[in-house]
Amino acid sequence: MIDPKRVLRALAEHWTLLEPLCERFDAGTLSLVELRNQLAAQLPEGTPTDVTALLDQWIRLDILVPVAKSPNRFELNAQIHDFLAYLRREHRLGLCLEIEAYLRHLERLAGYIKDAFEVRDAADLARQLRLLDMRVRDVLKKLANDEQALVAVAERAKTSDRQIPLRQRYAEVLATWDEYVEPMIQLVAADGAFEQGVYRVEHVLLRLLGEQQRLGQLVDDDLLLRTHARILEMQTTAQLTLRRARELLLPLREEARRHNAVTRGAALALAAIRKKGLDAVPQASMPLFSRPQSTFLGTASQVEAYVYALARFEPKPAQFPKAHSSRKGDAPRAPRTAREMIERCEQALPLPDLMVWLLEQEPEGATDELLYWFSRLSRDGRFQRERLERRDYLTREHQVSLSSFALIKPAGTTV
Amino acid sequence: MNIDLKELTQLAPIFRELFKGYHISRSNPELYAQLASQQDQYRSLFKALGYELTCDSRGFYYFVPEQMGAQVNKTAQRLALFTFILVEHLADQGRDPLAVLDGGSLGRDELPALLEKYKDLFLQAEVTTQDELEEKVMRRLTQLGFASEDNGIYRFLAPMHRFLDVCLSVQQDRDLAATLHSSLPLPTPVLLDDETEDEIISIAEEPTEESEEDALARAMAEERDAQEMDA
Repeated sequence: MIDPKRVLRALAEHWTLLEPLCERFDAGTLSLVELRNQLAAQLPEGTPTDVTALLDQWIRLDILVPVAKSPNRFELNAQIHDFLAYLRREHRLGLCLEIEAYLRHLERLAGYIKDAFEVRDAADLARQLRLLDMRVRDVLKKLANDEQALVAVAERAKTSDRQIPLRQRYAEVLATWDEYVEPMIQLVAADGAFEQGVYRVEHVLLRLLGEQQRLGQLVDDDLLLRTHARILEMQTTAQLTLRRARELLLPLREEARRHNAVTRGAALALAAIRKKGLDAVPQASMPLFSRPQSTFLGTASQVEAYVYALARFEPKPAQFPKAHSSRKGDAPRAPRTAREMIERCEQALPLPDLMVWLLEQEPEGATDELLYWFSRLSRDGRFQRERLERRDYLTREHQVSLSSFALIKPAGTTV
Repeated sequence: MNIDLKELTQLAPIFRELFKGYHISRSNPELYAQLASQQDQYRSLFKALGYELTCDSRGFYYFVPEQMGAQVNKTAQRLALFTFILVEHLADQGRDPLAVLDGGSLGRDELPALLEKYKDLFLQAEVTTQDELEEKVMRRLTQLGFASEDNGIYRFLAPMHRFLDVCLSVQQDRDLAATLHSSLPLPTPVLLDDETEDEIISIAEEPTEESEEDALARAMAEERDAQEMDA
């Protein structure tokens, strides 16, 4: 039997050495050489003999225990490890199955309590009630520990390197969800083992209270009421822990799942495109974009001509002028640019009738071209316009009926 | 609803950008803040003018164009293809595609390797050179507000979620997975044609005459249906 005081004193004295070792032991066992190196690094002034003495002491106090079948490897005694983890607020997530096993045990204890009451064995009844109470405390402790462990899982996932793929980063989250949260959801569900177990135990305790009033007291009512209150606390804590677990892990899990879905979706789409071409991308979700709608005026004949040209298109070799040959006849007139026309129009302001001015400027101009300039100039922001009465205008080929504009300089501008 | 035009101080630039097909996100702090604070007013005003302003909760605004005809939108296809490729490429490299496409960045120097690796797929989108990739894809991404470019680094913005949503919907599309393993033609996307370089005139294909094999297959299917109904 090891004196607890000596263990506690050793832990307190060597805390600075033990704490960093805990982290190493969290990850696995350590060989004697690794242990010695670690301690030597922390005790720069210590001789190898000091290190040996220290290790001997820990082994004697059962703080360090050899790993089964590997005498040269050591680990922290599981009880000490748990205690240190508790002190360091390091929580390892337990199993949902553990809670379920506790629940089954609670139900069994309720059965014993019922039996003890029926045979009017006051001592056994009190003992079983105390056991029940302690077991409920175990569950509460476990739930509190699990909640802290879940917080740590979420924090590790959120703070780990953003460069590593999400799937790896959230592997622990996904595993925790599948192994702990999902079974917990089922356990704590209205028809799950937890609720049913709690209900059965509660039922026994309440019945006991009623019977005691009828048949006379075997145990103090307060003991029954305290145990009952603790069971209700356990039920609430389980629900809160589960809710917290969902709040913590669900968004991360969704993110990981979404990530998987996006990657899978992209791969699926590429496979479809490889096989069926670009049109294989499903239509429903494809983003639609609007774009600037051009507001140019085109006559029906322009469109007709365009389509006709498209349909009858034949490539022609381009004729470039030769450098040595001189040009015969007049140079072909370059098409008028919008800037050129606007400048001319500006200089001619005020214009009593834009269409008349255009016909004067371009007597040989095609009707659609004239109409284009009419539309372009009349809507230009540099001019202020006033609508005129509808009348007919004669172009080279057509008679056009339209309401022309008088153009003037906008008020407040100077030349 | 009463709309106070005095409060809509950024109306003109906002309309101009949205009308161009641009997605306004936090990268345009002034316009975004104005839209976010006067969202309902802008939406009502644009609705009255015949424009549907979509406010995506992930932090961006855009106009949904009217569906004007069953034509293929080349730009949308091209950008979606680029997204698919980038997601796969990054996943292959062990990088996190969502971290890149949701606020992350991509260097211009990474484009040549991407183009080389997915040459056959880019070819389908008429992208064969790095210049074309930059012109037809990267420039369009920045023009439409999906990405911003600074010193050879493309930063992807919140509107990229529209393309990530396409990935998700593809993943959920069981029909697509099924058609991958069959030889039936896939449905043609019904999208608004908005690209100047796209066809102006859509020449609908004449329905081709049913081949003998198709007729036989159809007859067999009808026969089977009839038998099932009888059963």
